[in-house]
Amino acid sequence: MRTRRSLSDRTLAHLLVAPALVLIGVFAVYPFGVAVLNSFNYVDINTGALTPVGMDNYVALVTDPQIRAAFGRSVYWTVANMVLQVGIGVLIAMLLNLNLRGQRIARVLVLVPYMVPAIVAALVFRFMFNDVTGVVNYALRSLGLIDEPLNWLSDPQLMMPTLVLVNVWKYTPFFVIIVLAKLQTIPRDLYEAVAIDGGGWRHRFTAVTLPSIIPVVIAGMMLRTIWTAYDFDVPFLLSNGGGPSGSAITVPLAIRSLAFEQQQVGVASALAVCTAILLTGALYFYLRGYKRSERSEG
Amino acid sequence: MGLVRVLQYACLAVVVLGSIIPLYWIVLNAFRVDSEIAAYPPTFLPRSFTMEHFTSLFEVYGFQQYLINSMLVSTTATAAALVLGVMAAYGMSRFRYRAVRAVGELSLLAYLLPPILVLVPITQILIGNGLGDNRVALAVLYAATLLPFALWILRSYFNGLGIETEEAAMIDGCTRFGAFIRVVLPQALPGIVSTAIFTFNAAWSEYLFASTLMTSNEKLPANPAIFLLMGHMGTESWGLLMAAAITIILPVLVLFFMAQRWLVSGLTEGAVKG
Repeated sequence: MRTRRSLSDRTLAHLLVAPALVLIGVFAVYPFGVAVLNSFNYVDINTGALTPVGMDNYVALVTDPQIRAAFGRSVYWTVANMVLQVGIGVLIAMLLNLNLRGQRIARVLVLVPYMVPAIVAALVFRFMFNDVTGVVNYALRSLGLIDEPLNWLSDPQLMMPTLVLVNVWKYTPFFVIIVLAKLQTIPRDLYEAVAIDGGGWRHRFTAVTLPSIIPVVIAGMMLRTIWTAYDFDVPFLLSNGGGPSGSAITVPLAIRSLAFEQQQVGVASALAVCTAILLTGALYFYLRGYKRSERSEG
Repeated sequence: MGLVRVLQYACLAVVVLGSIIPLYWIVLNAFRVDSEIAAYPPTFLPRSFTMEHFTSLFEVYGFQQYLINSMLVSTTATAAALVLGVMAAYGMSRFRYRAVRAVGELSLLAYLLPPILVLVPITQILIGNGLGDNRVALAVLYAATLLPFALWILRSYFNGLGIETEEAAMIDGCTRFGAFIRVVLPQALPGIVSTAIFTFNAAWSEYLFASTLMTSNEKLPANPAIFLLMGHMGTESWGLLMAAAITIILPVLVLFFMAQRWLVSGLTEGAVKG
C-alpha cells in the first residue's frame, strides 16, 4: 500500500548505484584493463603508442635478477608481517581482555599507531633509528642489549627487518581491534565449562579461544595480506626511496621505478598483473580456510 | 596481587608505551631547541620550550599552503565518497535487482584492487587528459578509490537497520525519500560518521598518487610536501620535521579521539562482515 511514488523501485535502485558504478568503472575497471593491455606491449612513455611484444614483458620478470630479488623481498615482507602482526595482535587482544585496571584507556592508546600516517611513521622512525645519533641505539646500548650500534637503515642486511618492525608497529592494532571485538563476544560459561572439566589455561585457549577467533583472523589476514604485499608507503618512505643498494625494493617499489624511472611501462604492468594473479591465488586458499573454520566454529 | 597479575600489568605497560613512545618523541622534539635535540647522549625529558620550529615551518616554508591543499582534497573526496556511497549502499541494501547486486560485487573487487596496480594507467589517463597536476582531479581519484570501502561499511549498516520503521513511515504518507531522510539517515548516523572519519584519514594520509601526480610545488598536499623541508646532503632539521609531523597527525588524532568508540565498531564491521 505504498503511496506517492514518482519513480518505480527499479529505476530508483539503478539510479542510486549508477554514479558509484561510473566512478569505479573509470578509476578501477578501465585502468586495470589498460594495465593488462600494457603488459603485452612496449609502451612509448612520451606518445603512449603501443607496440605488441607478446609475452616478452612477462619473460623479463623471470629473467631479470633485480625483479626476482624484489619478488623475494616481497614474500619475506608479507609473510614476516602477517606472522608477527597476527601473533602479537592476538596476544595484545588477550591482554586487553583480562579486565585489568586502566584497560579502557589502554584499548584506545594501542590503536594510535594505526591512525598515524605512513609519512609521519617513516619520519619519526628514521629519526629514532638513526645509526649514530638515534635514540634506539642509545637505549639498547644503555640497557646492555647490544655492544655496537646497529645500522638499522644503512645496513642492507638489516633493512628489511627494520621495515618489518615499523610496519608491525603500525598495523598490528588492526588485528588487536578485530580479535578483541570477537573475544568480547565469547560467553564466560564456555570457559567455565572447560574449567569444570579440569582444563588448564592452555586447554581453555585451544578449546575455546582459538576456534572462535580463527574466522576473524583469517578474514582480517585476507585483507591485510593484499594490502601489505602491495604496500608502497612504509618501505619507500622509511628506506628513503629504496634503501642502500636497493635493499628495500619490494615489488611495489619496483613497479613504480620500472614505470617512471626506467620507462619500462610494459614490464611494470606485467609485474603488477603477475602479482595480482599470485595474490588472487592466495586469496583462494584463505577463503577455503575461512569456510572450513566457520563450519567448525558453528 | 599475585605474580601473574604483576606480569600482566608489566606487559600492558610495555604494550602501551611501545604504541605511543614514537608520538612522545615527535612532541618532545617539536617543542625543544636544536641544541637539545642534537645533544648526545639524548635526553628524554624537555629542558627547554620553543615554538621556533613552528614559526619556521609556517613563516619560512609556508607549510600552511600544503595543509590547506590536503584539507581541500581530503574533505572534497570524503564528501563525494560518502554521498555516492550512501546512495549506492542504500540502494544495494533495499533492492535486490541483479544489476544492483553486480555493482556490489564489482565494488568489492575494486576494494581489493591495490593503488599500485593501477598507478601507471591512472597516471597515463589523467596526464593524457591534461589533469595531471590538478587538485580537483586528485580529489575525484581519491573519492573513487575510497568509495568501495565506504560502500561496503555503509551497506552493512543499512542492512543492520530494520526495514519496518521505514515502511511504517511510508505507509504513514512519507515518500521513500522522506522516510530515508527522517528515519534511515538518523539511525545510520554512527556508521556514516565512522565511515567519514576512515575515509578522511585515508585521503589525508595518501602519499603514492599525490607524489606521482602533483608536479608543481604549490599544489602539493602536506604528505609529499614534507620532502620540501628536507635539506640536501642529509642535513635535516629534526625539530622542523617533527613540527610538520604534528601538523599532519593532529587532525587525524583529534578525529580519532572524538569518535574512537564508533571507529572500533566501524572497523570491526568492515573487517568482519564486509
